[in-house]
Amino acid sequence: MKKVQLVINGIKRQFVVGPEQVLLELLREGLHLTGAKQSCDRKGQCGACTVVVDGKARRSCLLKVADLDGSEVITVEGLGTPDNPHLIQEAFVLSGAVQCGYCTPGMIMATKALLDGNPNPDTEEIKKALSRNLCRCTGYVKIIEAVKLAGRFLRGEITPDEVRPDPQEGMMGVSHPRPSAMMKACGLAEFSADIKLEDAVEIAVARSSEHHALIKSIDTSEAEQMLGVVGVMTAKDIKGTNRIKFVFDDQPVLCTDRVRCLGDPIAVVGAGTKAQAEAAAKAVKVAYDPLPVMMTPAEALADGAVRVHDEYPNLCWAQPQTKGDAEKAIKEAAAVVEAEFSTQMNHQAPLEPEACVAYLEGEGEDALLVVIGRSIMIHSHMAMLQGALGWENMRYEEAYCGGQFGIKAAITSEAIAGAAALHFKRAVRYIPSLHESMLLTSKRHPFTMKVKLAADKDGKLTAFVNDFIIDNGAYQILGIVVGLRALQMLSGSYDIPGIQALAQLVYTNNAAGGAARGAGPPQVAFALESAMDMLADELGIDPLEFRFKNILVPGQSVSTGAIMEEWPFQGLWEDLRPHYERAKQEAAAVGNGVVRRGVGLACHSFGIAEPGDAAMVAVERDPDNGVTIYAAAADPGEGNDSMLAQIAAHLLNLPMEKVRLVTRSTEQTTETGPAAGSRITYMVGGALVNAIDQMRAAMEEAKVSDYEGLKRANKPIRFIGRKNVPEGPLDPQTGQGSTFESQVHNIQMAEVEVNTETGEVRVLKMTTAVDPGPVIHPQNLEAQLEGGMDQGVGYALREEYIHGQTKDWITFKFPTMKTSFDVEVITPRQTPRQKGTLGATGIGEMTMVSTAPAVVNAIKNACGVRIYDLPATPDKIKAALAAQG
Amino acid sequence: MTGSGESGPLSGHPNRRIRRIAGRRIVFDGEDFLRNPEDWSEEVALCLAREDGLQELEEKQWQVIRFMRSYYFHHGRAPMNRDLKAGVHMTLMALEALFPGGIRRGARRVAGLPNPKSCAG
Repeated sequence: MKKVQLVINGIKRQFVVGPEQVLLELLREGLHLTGAKQSCDRKGQCGACTVVVDGKARRSCLLKVADLDGSEVITVEGLGTPDNPHLIQEAFVLSGAVQCGYCTPGMIMATKALLDGNPNPDTEEIKKALSRNLCRCTGYVKIIEAVKLAGRFLRGEITPDEVRPDPQEGMMGVSHPRPSAMMKACGLAEFSADIKLEDAVEIAVARSSEHHALIKSIDTSEAEQMLGVVGVMTAKDIKGTNRIKFVFDDQPVLCTDRVRCLGDPIAVVGAGTKAQAEAAAKAVKVAYDPLPVMMTPAEALADGAVRVHDEYPNLCWAQPQTKGDAEKAIKEAAAVVEAEFSTQMNHQAPLEPEACVAYLEGEGEDALLVVIGRSIMIHSHMAMLQGALGWENMRYEEAYCGGQFGIKAAITSEAIAGAAALHFKRAVRYIPSLHESMLLTSKRHPFTMKVKLAADKDGKLTAFVNDFIIDNGAYQILGIVVGLRALQMLSGSYDIPGIQALAQLVYTNNAAGGAARGAGPPQVAFALESAMDMLADELGIDPLEFRFKNILVPGQSVSTGAIMEEWPFQGLWEDLRPHYERAKQEAAAVGNGVVRRGVGLACHSFGIAEPGDAAMVAVERDPDNGVTIYAAAADPGEGNDSMLAQIAAHLLNLPMEKVRLVTRSTEQTTETGPAAGSRITYMVGGALVNAIDQMRAAMEEAKVSDYEGLKRANKPIRFIGRKNVPEGPLDPQTGQGSTFESQVHNIQMAEVEVNTETGEVRVLKMTTAVDPGPVIHPQNLEAQLEGGMDQGVGYALREEYIHGQTKDWITFKFPTMKTSFDVEVITPRQTPRQKGTLGATGIGEMTMVSTAPAVVNAIKNACGVRIYDLPATPDKIKAALAAQG
Repeated sequence: MTGSGESGPLSGHPNRRIRRIAGRRIVFDGEDFLRNPEDWSEEVALCLAREDGLQELEEKQWQVIRFMRSYYFHHGRAPMNRDLKAGVHMTLMALEALFPGGIRRGARRVAGLPNPKSCAG
């Protein structure tokens, strides 16, 4: 042990520490300064724990406290508070650089160290200084802008008040600071791992070392005797169904007699410390009887293959789609292209690990189980947990969520934490490592797609065939939904009279697939948009003109046969055209050296609000004439808080501070469905507008304008708004039926450089033209596009999740400031949609659907080789170039 | 345990079932709950109750149904058992016994309250 003195946030402190204690642990667990976050298992990969030590930005997870005697440490809590923020915190909030907020404190502290030494850094200096800080939400664009703005503030060139939007500017189309942003910028927003629970048991889970095996025995005797262990639980200790049910009830909370996937949970250990729990979990002995391992659909579909689930065939779902006569159209076509495409399994990669805490309020059979976790649909997740755990009396609270991107549509740590709290009858903390979080979460489904695309002599599309197989992994979760969404948006932005498709979903022993930004359309759009360029080439038509010629117009139908009444797309081509001409000229000027430049396009029309979707929102008039909105509209970073607050303020002519949001607890909120599918603005925003319309009607009828007036007139002060989309499931035989109620349209253009010797690709710029309807918060819209395209580029070029091998942010190839690129967002068209929320749609997922095909088309344009299987790694490009000769 | 067994793959949306009930075409979810609570009527409730083996609904059962629907449309969510217990002044045991499927599978389904929406619809 060693005694050290530190000055932390200006206060002199003394500690006696062991040789292994790191500064992050001391700050978070010793001093409860939880602004510094942990994402990367203390490997120094993420920068979320960055603090300033003796004037330098340091990753506190790597610093031994024993080596810091006499040092001065500043954490994000030492910079400012929401009432008195530091100028850097103001700059991050006003620039829209705060989305989920998990990386924000580390980014802010790295910025502090940079600007203290260099008050006017340029873009490259900023990228270098913040190169060790990862962000999944922003694509780094707004963070770089925030650092520059902070520099201007600190140099006295401008003040925050000069940048902050004036409330008099109105609420629609104005980027008012997000209600939650300053709490995140000050490190005070509590994520699950930040929640302090007195006398909590730390949880660790013994997980399967096998991909597929029968469990012969589970021996917990040694673990139970280990130091600090409170107890060990297995499936027999769970009182409910022990099954998590989305579509099928095929996923156990804890495995009973069989494991189907590496990392399946088998036993839960509770102990005084996390280290004790982890040590004991390793001592749980599981004897296995191996079963054949099927890691691909081909293996799972082979004759005589073992079923992954006895109750279901491995080919668990198949859905044809037939519109027109594609076969005849192909026979009669002037040009046909045919190819097989594949996309990889990918991790959604939120920075925050899958943390959850749980405890009981009260005792005995009337005790209330409180789960605080990472859900984006607290009501349905609570219902699933009630059944799985056999405990009805529950409350689910959403903590602040460190990124989402679909991953939090599935249940993970909350089932374990809830079960453990009930079993041990103690408060529990389950804070899995990054590696464990990767093992236990659902992933983006890999697709293989056999495609034919045909056109007539005039260059009009006539037929599209896409037979695709989805690797579902070991559990259903949302596989069928992903397949359905792929079919509903199969024809993208185009009018294609002949459609022939077959979607097949196959159980394997791979990681379970689940929701992932876009969920289905990014995979099939990669195939369609690649084939569009191939067919344009075949016909000798410019890719932009070919797409323009084939865009759907109102009165025509999508792949489900649903006829579209509105499709405001055509103008986007005109918006993009000058950028496209500029990019082509610049690319041509580079010539055919080792490094070549290319331009690629792709577009998509992303569906918003599926048939049968429904949302409810409650709005109450408050005694001070403000309003409180009650709705379980999770906001893991997209800006749903801005949307709800600004719409209510706009419609009721209120200042934003008089709009209160209650969105995080099942005990107070309406059930509004998931914060997924790009549906919150359209569905929940729509229900909010409906509730406010009712409130205004009641006030008009009573001829009053405030709370007291409503009370005097004996009118209600609480109004429930609803938004419903008519039902219309696809026909099981033909895949025909209704589709999403609205669409958001966009085109993306990639400009890339390809090194023909190394196969390395550098994305120089992404340009996107988008018509999302009237924009409520321009900064949030841009931030979604910038972050989505950054994820799309990662998906196109680098990222791949290999179960058991991808263990951290390095092996995942997480996008960094170094790989970031210029972005230009073009939004001159904001066509109000007939049924949109004040005309608006949603944009969260559309942002990455077109990116991968645009990048791959640009690679082809640059060097002549086409990549059919994502990601387009340097090795694949080099091999293709070599094969081309 | 073979992948090509006698039962073939599913197709369509497993969480949507269109049924003709009380003379109307109504969409149910995979657990046979109404998708839209506004599709409910007393006639629909009687049909669902009969599926559960109740030939008629007694006043106590209507009291539970009315409370559940009133709670749902005021709060925007279904009542927890504790809310129901307090609202209708019955014990949980009595409530569970009142409908053959118990509170959730019985009373809540007959009352036409939908399951919370998830990404699976």
